[in-house]
Amino acid sequence: MNPQIRYSEEQALLRGEARRWLDERFPIARVRELAESEAGEDPLDWKQLAGLGWLGLVVPESFGGAQLGATDLAVLMEETGRRLLPSPLLPSTLAALALVTDGSDAQRKRFLPAIAAGEIRAVYAGSASVWGASSADALIVPRGGGLEIVERSSGGLETAPEIVLDRTRRSARVTRNGVALGADAPSDRLAAMACLALAAEMAGGADALLALTCAYAATREQFGKPIGSFQAVKHPLVNVLIGVESLRSLVYAAATAFDANSPDAETLARMAKALACDVYVFAASRAVQLHGGYGFTLDCDAHLYLKRAQASRPAFGDAMAQRRWLADRLPGAAPL
Amino acid sequence: METLRADVRAWIAENHPGEPGFKLPQSALEVADDRQFDWLRDWQRKLYDAGYVGAEWPREYGGRGRERGAQRVIDQELARARAPFLLNLVGLSWAGPVILRYGTEAQKRRLIAPLLRADEIWCQGFSEPGAGSDLASLRAKAVRAGDAFQIDGHKVWTTLGRYADWCILLARTDPDAVKHAGISYFLAPMKIPGVEVLPLVKMTGEGGFNQVIWTDARIPADALLGREGQGWEIATATLQFERGAAEGSAGGSGGGGEQVGRVAALARALARDADPVVRDRLADFWIRETALRANAQRARVAGLLSDRPEALPLMQKLTASELTQALADFACELEGDAAGLWIDDPGAIENADWQRSYMNSFAMTIAGGTSEILRNILGERALGLPKTR
Ligand SMILES: Cc1cc2nc3c(=O)[nH]c(=O)nc-3n(C[C@H](O)[C@H](O)[C@H](O)COP(=O)(O)OP(=O)(O)OC[C@H]3O[C@@H](n4cnc5c(N)ncnc54)[C@H](O)[C@@H]3O)c2cc1C
Repeated sequence: MNPQIRYSEEQALLRGEARRWLDERFPIARVRELAESEAGEDPLDWKQLAGLGWLGLVVPESFGGAQLGATDLAVLMEETGRRLLPSPLLPSTLAALALVTDGSDAQRKRFLPAIAAGEIRAVYAGSASVWGASSADALIVPRGGGLEIVERSSGGLETAPEIVLDRTRRSARVTRNGVALGADAPSDRLAAMACLALAAEMAGGADALLALTCAYAATREQFGKPIGSFQAVKHPLVNVLIGVESLRSLVYAAATAFDANSPDAETLARMAKALACDVYVFAASRAVQLHGGYGFTLDCDAHLYLKRAQASRPAFGDAMAQRRWLADRLPGAAPL
Repeated sequence: METLRADVRAWIAENHPGEPGFKLPQSALEVADDRQFDWLRDWQRKLYDAGYVGAEWPREYGGRGRERGAQRVIDQELARARAPFLLNLVGLSWAGPVILRYGTEAQKRRLIAPLLRADEIWCQGFSEPGAGSDLASLRAKAVRAGDAFQIDGHKVWTTLGRYADWCILLARTDPDAVKHAGISYFLAPMKIPGVEVLPLVKMTGEGGFNQVIWTDARIPADALLGREGQGWEIATATLQFERGAAEGSAGGSGGGGEQVGRVAALARALARDADPVVRDRLADFWIRETALRANAQRARVAGLLSDRPEALPLMQKLTASELTQALADFACELEGDAAGLWIDDPGAIENADWQRSYMNSFAMTIAGGTSEILRNILGERALGLPKTR
């Protein structure tokens, strides 16, 4: 397997536009405010996301979307990860992806245009605990190789908000007629796309942490010098750097593989998710540690990311689960 | 490029020299006896004559003038076929590229072609007993004497020094200038009076590097590369090539990055591949190895470098050497009792290749800037952290 990476002018533009908008719309003070709020998000943001075309990013043009590829998705997710976007864009994008990959014609026709326009909020539901469920109109559930769509309007659907570690991303426990909502295993492609999208988001978060911590290390002084000049501070930051850059490379390699229909796409996506779990938690733990006493307080931003990192880890398979999958496919060793 | 790839593949299938019937070193850093040296020199000549060394270098100096990227394809195919490495490492990958960049027309015409064909071997005289990581504190002297410079100094860890015809040599031409400013860079002949080469023995029992004592050695004035006092700048450029942070090698640097398959096969051969701990570790190594190659790929995608342009090129040597070390260590651990056996013991696995690899891997985490120094550089250049003092 020789990872290839492609990246176009259009993707660079998308990144620039996304970064500018997110920086302006989601300064950390507002993220904190939304995290404190009851709903955890602002409905106005959703309207704006629709206006930007992000809700239909992966939706085919024939259904009113932008029909962009996995590489564009990775770029956008990375940028939202930097800002801990407090809005269910990820579960909604996964819902759209699920419809594109595994939905029936009738399901696509009915839901994709409405999702892209921001008229129906659909979220991907792979288990009974669902991101963005409280505000969702429809849940997209993997079932028997295809999808089942559970609409709120059909009645019997209950969503009970969970008390979550990461308050910038809300989830709810979902029951239907009093029974916990179950899901079958998603298709390989869908599982891998979910890994890719989340890994990209996690890469953005880890990268933002690195910048945050470096800025502090360059200015905070002890013993008459900036702490960043001490190797005991500098070297772990470089280890974070190596992790973040390696993760980003794997994310772009996986995305390029998806767009090229390469058979390596799933392997690369799972590698990216595995590395994302380790790198994000490591970056966040170093951020807290290297901010010292301040790092241990609610005032410091590091904990917001630490919580996002910990809460993102289990979704779609943690690092151990991904490595178990990879171990069956090691080069030079046939599966057991 | 795909035609080139196919051509190289076909050529190797026909011309792969196989095993020589005696123990080859694992890399150019360990060449220690004449039999190894002659055999490896023949291999480089054969490759050069086939057009696969110096593929991208200018024709007028003996290169092949091929398009950018050709050497990488060739090196990849050589590595894939597990072809022997190229002997003239210092010449092909470090000295040659800086001569092409900083050399005079006469220097290029005189030096490049013989270097490519391994007719003349190069070594690097940077380190001294008192100047390792702190290279700029070097004390070797070069004093102008008419048409010559007179060299006096003590160099150490000089790879291939015993076989070298030429040395990229750093010496101080201005003792009064501040540390970095007084250093000059020479393309110095080695087979001259006043140059004494003393072999050192590695912990593997192998030779390969040396001390070189320069005593009143006279080298011609045109051995100077660049300007007097420009040595530090050129040394920095050399280190960029040595660390793989700049492309420009004439060949032999395509290897590595495909070790996990070998270790996985070892685990299988030892019936340890069902152990969940072993499987988890192998999968982790596979991720790291793939990420390493993805990093190298990404380093060529301009749009993805903008945030921290320094990071990826600077990371390569550090991450590759540490991964190689960790993998070889893990392979030794997998071997169990056999890990304690050494070359030529009938019970040794793969004739103790992994034990040897593990120990030799320290060459890569120490030479060309230690991992600690590279972390300092990355922290300062890629992350903008304040200087370590
Ligand atoms: C196999 C091999 C081949 C070599 N070939 C050549 C060659 O051909 N030509 C040549 O010129 N040189 C060669 N070298 C020398 C090599 O470049 C030096 O060994 C290296 O730069 C380290 O210098 P040193 O050995 O003096 O160690 P020192 O500089 O004394 O370092 C000792 C330890 O202290 C650490 N250290 C030192 N300073 C710092 C700091 N500021 N911050 C953190 N840690 C620090 C180092 O990382 C290391 O762990 C070779 C070395 C090896 C091992």
